[in-house]
Amino acid sequence: MRFLELDEVTKEYPTRGGKPARVMDRVSLSVEEGEFLAVLGPSGCGKSTLLQMAAGLLPATSGSVRLAGRAVTAPPPEAVYVFQQYSRSLLPWRSVRDNVAFATEHRLGRRRAREAAEEPLKQVGLDGFGDHFPWQLSGGMQQRVAIARALAAGPAMLLMDEPFSAVDALTRLDLQSLVLDIWSRRRLTIMLVTHDVEEAIQLADRIVVLTNRPTTVAEEIKVALPRPRDPIATREHPRFLELRHHLLDKLLARHAG
Amino acid sequence: MRVERLLSPLPGLLVLAALLLGLEWAVDAGLIRRALMPAPSTIALRLWDLLEAGDVWAPMMQTLRLVFTGFAIGSAIGIAAGLAMGWWPAVFRLLEPLVELIRPIPKSALVPPLMLFLGIGFTMKVTSVALVVTFPVLVNTLQGVRGVDRVMLDAARTHGWPARHTLLHLVLPAALPLVLAGMRISLGLAMVLAVLSEMLAGEGGLGFLILDMQRSFRVRDMYAWLVILAVLGLALNWLFVLAERRALHWQRR
Repeated sequence: MRFLELDEVTKEYPTRGGKPARVMDRVSLSVEEGEFLAVLGPSGCGKSTLLQMAAGLLPATSGSVRLAGRAVTAPPPEAVYVFQQYSRSLLPWRSVRDNVAFATEHRLGRRRAREAAEEPLKQVGLDGFGDHFPWQLSGGMQQRVAIARALAAGPAMLLMDEPFSAVDALTRLDLQSLVLDIWSRRRLTIMLVTHDVEEAIQLADRIVVLTNRPTTVAEEIKVALPRPRDPIATREHPRFLELRHHLLDKLLARHAG
Repeated sequence: MRVERLLSPLPGLLVLAALLLGLEWAVDAGLIRRALMPAPSTIALRLWDLLEAGDVWAPMMQTLRLVFTGFAIGSAIGIAAGLAMGWWPAVFRLLEPLVELIRPIPKSALVPPLMLFLGIGFTMKVTSVALVVTFPVLVNTLQGVRGVDRVMLDAARTHGWPARHTLLHLVLPAALPLVLAGMRISLGLAMVLAVLSEMLAGEGGLGFLILDMQRSFRVRDMYAWLVILAVLGLALNWLFVLAERRALHWQRR
């Protein structure tokens, strides 16, 4: 069943005087229920714009976005957006626990939201850090807080905007395994945007490759690697190397041109 | 390290002590006429008398009450208006011309017309204090609201926060550093307007006493009350900085 469906989505921005600038041109893609989709594209290709439109954070100029069978006009309760800049999306004046309570406090009230924060904190390996403040944590741990916050909302789908691009390489591998684990345990649907070819292959069931602006879909590839995926073994799998070669080749060729 | 911290205010205190000693000497030597400026030691003695007789508290409380009430009302109006103007563009367009018109007027000049409308009582004085407090708080709150990170606002949206919840639990705390900076500026101005309106109203309070003592040639008393006012201002500012640091504990990075 299609959980998220973007149909001929176009985005234009008004320019001073002239005709509007088209940054995205009739992009169509869909995410199946329970699927892990990676959207791969060079920096500045409008991946985040696409994800924000899927999340109902940004209106499309034309085309339609449907999630869980309904047209998306505002942020839908089924999907939560995980931001690239964890340091800007967390509230610096709140403790880790209160940052996770953020997800539900407007529905449950502050006290019950705090109680509900413990389980997701444990799931991302941060039990015992509830009373810390974001500035006391490393970047990787802050992104874990952001993931715990998203999980606390109890979403069916996560929309992840380059969530690991701001942390060091080892932490990135850690967080990737964490997300894979959560995805399979919670049977989530995930759409993840990235410019990292290996990350896309390592995580996803399917990869949608985007072009430069104005953004269109260049190609769609099934990853077809066995699960569970291992941070070391999977990266040495012949299929992994084949995909990596193919995708880098394409991205680099377009980059040069 | 600890010793260094204890010693760091020493040079500044030495300058103060030197200045006081110099004044004492200059008055003793007849370089300054006693009628204009009595020796610091005699002012201190007078101050001691006032404290011992318990005459200090009533005027001080009167002025304090005025400063606090005016500061609270002015801050509340400034924060509410700043939030509303920063959050709803329609409110901004509605109020901005009015704010820009009243803001540059020195609020001291508004005390005489206020006396026409409100008389010389507490209401008039509180109104003038509140008036001067409002604008720095308003302008800073407005800036604070506009500076709230878009990513943070999007985080609230993707989690389904209603607008009211976002305003109270995200926008207001995010703007708090600037709001408090505005309030600190306003606290000083509140003292100025409190003293001035007391002088013009002539109904007691520290401001009235300072002017009254000067007019009745009780110069020693005038300086004693001036010292009390200075200490009060210092204490208020110190308390505010302390409260501010507590409220913004998360900013230490």
